[in-house]
Formats: sequence, C-alpha cells, structure tokens
Amino acid sequence: MSAEVIRSDRPMTAAQRATFQVVVDMIVPASADARKPSAAEVGVLDFIAERQPGELPAIARDMDRLDAAARERHGAAFAEIDAAARQGVVEAMRADDGTFLQNLALHTVTCYYQDDRVLTAIGLEPRAPFPKGYEVVAGDPDLLEPVRRRGSIARKA
Amino acid sequence: MADDIVDVLIVGAGASGAAVAWSLAETRMRIVCLEQGGWMNPAEYPSNGRDWEMRQYSEYQLSPNLRNRAADYPINDDDSPIAILNFNAVGGSTILYSAHFPRFHPSDFRVASLDGVADDWPIDYWTLEPFFAENDRNIGVSGLAGDPAIPFHEPPLPPVPMGRMGEAMGRGFNKLGWHWWPSDTAIVTRDYNGRGRCLNLGPCNAGCAQGAKSSADVTYWPMAERAGVELRTNCRVREITVAGRDMATGVTYFDADGVERHQRAEVVIVACNGVGTPRLLLNSTSARFPDGLANSSGLVGKNLMLHPFGHVRGIFPEPLASHFGPQGSCILSQEFYETDLSRGFVRGYDLQVTRGAPPVATARAGVANGTIPWGQDHHAAFERTYDRDINIGVLCEDLPEEHNRVTLDPELTDSHGIPAPKVSYTLSENSRRMLEHGVARASEAMVAGGATSVHPSPSPIRYCGWHLLGTARMGDDPGQSVVNSWGRSHDVRNLFIVDGSVFVTSGGVNPTTTIQAVALYIADAMKKNLANLFD
Ligand SMILES: Cc1cc2nc3c(=O)[nH]c(=O)nc-3n(C[C@H](O)[C@H](O)[C@H](O)COP(=O)(O)OP(=O)(O)OC[C@H]3O[C@@H](n4cnc5c(N)ncnc54)[C@H](O)[C@@H]3O)c2cc1C
Repeated sequence: MSAEVIRSDRPMTAAQRATFQVVVDMIVPASADARKPSAAEVGVLDFIAERQPGELPAIARDMDRLDAAARERHGAAFAEIDAAARQGVVEAMRADDGTFLQNLALHTVTCYYQDDRVLTAIGLEPRAPFPKGYEVVAGDPDLLEPVRRRGSIARKA
Repeated sequence: MADDIVDVLIVGAGASGAAVAWSLAETRMRIVCLEQGGWMNPAEYPSNGRDWEMRQYSEYQLSPNLRNRAADYPINDDDSPIAILNFNAVGGSTILYSAHFPRFHPSDFRVASLDGVADDWPIDYWTLEPFFAENDRNIGVSGLAGDPAIPFHEPPLPPVPMGRMGEAMGRGFNKLGWHWWPSDTAIVTRDYNGRGRCLNLGPCNAGCAQGAKSSADVTYWPMAERAGVELRTNCRVREITVAGRDMATGVTYFDADGVERHQRAEVVIVACNGVGTPRLLLNSTSARFPDGLANSSGLVGKNLMLHPFGHVRGIFPEPLASHFGPQGSCILSQEFYETDLSRGFVRGYDLQVTRGAPPVATARAGVANGTIPWGQDHHAAFERTYDRDINIGVLCEDLPEEHNRVTLDPELTDSHGIPAPKVSYTLSENSRRMLEHGVARASEAMVAGGATSVHPSPSPIRYCGWHLLGTARMGDDPGQSVVNSWGRSHDVRNLFIVDGSVFVTSGGVNPTTTIQAVALYIADAMKKNLANLFD
C-alpha cells in the first residue's frame, strides 16, 4: 500500500510519515530473497490509523524525536541520512530508553504477519481459519506402547 | 411475569448452571435461569476473519477487566499475583475455555486421609463416576481409553490429533520413562449430536466458530431449552432474597432494560463460579444474615483455589505445524501428579502440552523478549521459531487456605452499582516449590523431546486465573463448610450451589469435567429427594 492511499494520516505530517516508513523498514526490511515485502510496503501506518488511532499522536512525537536526533548528530532529516547513521541514532535512543519504539515494533509485526504476501511466504494460505480449517496428523499411537507396558500408575485411594 | 413464582431459579448459565438446568428439566418443574450475559454468535468469533489473531487481544481478552464487555463485571485482583479470568454469557467461561478435560483422580477426593493436608471431600470419585460418563456423552468428549494414571473410562469420541508436536513430546516423555497420554478434550472429533467435527481452527480461547468445542451454549442449553427451561439473558442478579424460616424467596435482578425486578422461586440454585457465587452471597445481606447468605460458617469467599500455573516454551529444529489444532489440548503427563514428599512439596501437578503460537503471536512474543530482532536478521529468527514451538503448562494443585479469599470491594461496583468482588491471594510455599519443580521437569521434557532452546517463564503466570474453586465448600459439618454433600446450603434449605465454589480441594487438573459431574450429581440428588428436599 503506498503512502498516497493512507487515509487516516492527518495526525502525521509528511516529514513524520517519511520517518515512519523508514523506521518500520528498519524493524522488518524486505527479506534478502525478496519473497517477503518490507513493513512499509504492507501499510503499517494505515493499519495503526484504523485499529489504534489513539496511538498515532504518540508515534508522531517519536518520529519528531528521531528527526531531531538525526539533525543534531548528522545535520539532516532521519529519512535522509544513510542506513548506518539511522541505525546509530535508533540504537542510541533505545539504549537511553528501552521502551522507545517498542510499541511501534509490536504494531509493525502485528500488521506484517497478516499480510497476504507474508503469509504466503511462510507457507500459509492467506485466509481466515474458518470454514476450511486445517488438517493435523493424528500422530502415531504406537508411541504409547512404553506407557501401556508400565501399567497402572494410579494411586490407591 | 413480574412476581409470579417459579419452582427452580438458577443464577448463571455457564458450565454448571447449564448442566443442572438440563438435568432438572425432566422433572417438568418450572425452571428459569437468569444470566447476566447474552447469547454468543459463532459467526462473529475471530476465526471467521482474517484479523483473528488481533481480535484475541481486544474483544476476547481473557480478563474481564481488560475486556470490558457490557456483561462483564469488574474484579479487583490487584492483591493477587494471579489475575481472574472468566467469560459472562450463555455458556459462561466455557465460551473461552480450552476444553482440556482431564478428570480428578480418586485420590483428589481424599487428600486429608492420604496426605494429611486440607480435608477429604464428603463424596468420592466413584459417586461421581456415572456423572462424569453422562456428562461426556451429553456434551461430546474425545479421548483415548486406557490412560494408566486414572480409572478406566471410555470417552465417546476418538482423541484430538496430537500432530507432529505431540509425537515429539511423546518421544521425549518416553525417553524419560514418564507417563503421558492424549488428553481427554471436550471437543467433538466426529460429527456429534448435530454439531460438526473439529476443524483444527486453532484459537479455541476466543470461541469456536465451528461449534465443535463443547461449550455449554451449544451443548446443554439447546437441550435444556427444548425440554422447557426458560433462559432469560442480560439479567444480572443483585441479591438472593430471604424471609422467615430461613428460606430463600427468590432474587432481585436487573433485566435487559436495566429495570429492577424480583423473581420469586421455591428453590434457588447458584452457578456463578468461584468468584461470582461468593460475590452474590456476600451481596445478599439481611437482618438475619448480616454477613452474607449461607455464611454462618464464615467460609463464604474463603479458601479460594486458583491452580498456580507455570509455563515453558521449547523451540524445535524442524517444522512441526505446531499452531494448528485445538490450542490448549494435545497430550498431558501426570508423572508428577501424586504426592512424593521427596520432591519437597505435597500433592502434585499436571503437565499440559499445548500448541505453538500462530504468526502474529510468534512475532510479537519474539519482538517483546528480544529473541526476534529488528533488521535483516528478523526473518531468519522468525523462521527458526515459527511453527517449531511447543508449550507446556504446569498446572499445580492449590491447597485451600482461608486467607485466600473473595470479599466485596468497598468502592468498586459494576455497571448496575452492585459491589464488585475483590480477590486477595498469596502463593503458598508449597505451590512455589511445586511450580519450580514442574517448570524444571517441563524443561527437561522439552530437551528430551528434541528442543534446541527452552524458555521458562517466571512463575506464576499472571493471566492464568481461569479455575475458580473452593469459596463455598461442601462438607458434613456446618461449622466447616457452606453446603452439604449434595450442594444444599446448611443455613438456607432451599438454596443450592453447584459450581466450582463447592470444591473442597482443587486437584491438579483443569476442573470443568469435575464441576459438571458435581453439578449433575447435585441435580440427581435433588431429583431423588424432591419429596423432602427441605428436610
Ligand atoms: C481462558 C479460559 C480457559 C479455560 N480452559 C479450561 C480448560 O481447558 N479446561 C477446564 O476444565 N476449564 C477451563 N477453564 C475454566 C472453565 O471455563 C470453568 O471451570 C467453567 O466454565 C466454570 O463453570 P461455572 O458454571 O462454575 O462458571 P462459568 O462457566 O464461569 O459460568 C458462570 C455464569 O454465571 C453468570 N453470572 C455470574 N454472576 C451473575 C449474576 N450476578 N447474575 C447473573 N448471572 C451471573 C456469568 O455471566 C457466567 O455466565 C477455562 C477458563 C478460561 C477463562
């Protein structure tokens, strides 16, 4: 889903959105074999806006903090500095506050692992469990032989 | 209808209330059940939709305090390391239960005689045996006959599939020479009584879209209603009323429109679970019963037992398709169920092997605990975990202690202004040692099964207070118990209690098959004593 179709993005400025897309891609980048998309491609912002709109202002503030830190350390917006520099900024901020961006990381993976391309890549049909369900092998009943041979372990009462 | 009189009034339409309603229906008495929740619609359960994993974290939270549905009442459990979990609807907490259905052992009814702790029950396993069997047939229970840990019984349906994960753990238990067996499960594995068989959807703890899980709304209630029982939903009972002669006269309740009503009844049966029942009794005060109804022993609300729960997760080297199948039911081990004092504690526990985590839960847990990192390594770490995990729950017998209790919160109320329950609970030293032992043994079993990494959680797990027992215990001595050996209040002769509150001890297994067997046994005793029920 591209940035243009994000509907509920009013609490975020264009700069905050740019930072957001870069950060979620740091959390889950596309897989090296390109079978799995990056988090920015699966529409995390739209997902949060729809499911947890109350959290957007706090996330927007975190994006501002990242931007400010990038400008201070590297003289440019977070989205414009190179990958190593971004990594350094995020690591420094998370070293200061272990919970920084943790909530965003949880939302990111929650959205990511519901995406059709991701589910297909991990071997699942992208569908609801019901009504088709799943087959599960019954398991080998002969494995119980040793338990049977041992006999009753019930306590006399 | 305002103030007519019914023969039997049941409060609570969960596992026990439903079973009693069905059993008593054959008497042709006029039976009404008041339930504070409504009917659930299986078409709305999460597994109908793509967002099924997410919805488990919101509308289907296990704690009423987090879930906050209109039918829920708040529970102050701040003074307990274990949070109280339940569900309030037709079917009660069985809407969410895992349906893991192991029976109590004969020894569980005789802990004082055998181990010198707590008290014996006034009834034994063999008294309940026909009711266990009747309940298995009524609701549809699957399992494999011949488990050497308990008396022989034949579940009516074949066991739930253990899958590759069950096989892996079975091999592990075999390597250690320990007991294990496919779990008895209240899920139908074949089409049964008009219900479709289990489709291995996975998230049983958020309601079963297929209706294969034997929750009380799809088992007993259709039968009870067909037999003439009237179920009034969205009706929250505030108090049980009494008059002269120490007899209950009925209940005062708020109907679906919030209008306060009184329903008169010849007999009142309480089935609100181990927290809801003492709450209702403690809220039912009068000049004659200033400390709550049926409470001359002072034991209403006391001896709360919760089954402290430990947890170990193992990650295996090969894919096991581990998150498919009934979430909470696969196989169990009862190697450490019975007392062996050399272990450093009395009584024992059940090892409940449960399924792995689906994708979102896998990723969230890994991101939260740092095992699945950010960045390019995310994918490999996810794949090393997903579909290769197995969980073991360590379900410990909890012994009755009077200081573990349900009281009324002085400030907290529900949406009708009715005082809410407050739970005060401390983990005993015996439970602490049992948990430690169980988590170590579960870890050992994981390694024996081939796990490459083993992750025990700190015990006890907080959101595991799903078994609510002991707060209106049964016994022959009115000074030491709330109800007699067939559920009748010692103080109020037309008041019966049929839920897990009446348990004298907790056993070391999930209680609902035993709760329903006790409820059917009490209903049977009522039927046999109809002519002189109040003598
Ligand atoms: C997440 C979860 C998983 C579980 N897994 C298992 C498992 O695998 N195996 C197992 O054996 N057990 C399990 N349990 C426990 C099982 O659900 C309970 O033991 C069982 O439902 C208890 O039956 P009950 O009739 O005592 O109470 P409930 O089923 O809780 O029913 C009580 C009913 O009373 C109603 N009520 C309460 N107060 C009032 C009032 N004042 N007015 C009107 N109505 C009222 C409630 O709304 C509710 O519907 C689980 C529970 C939970 C929450």
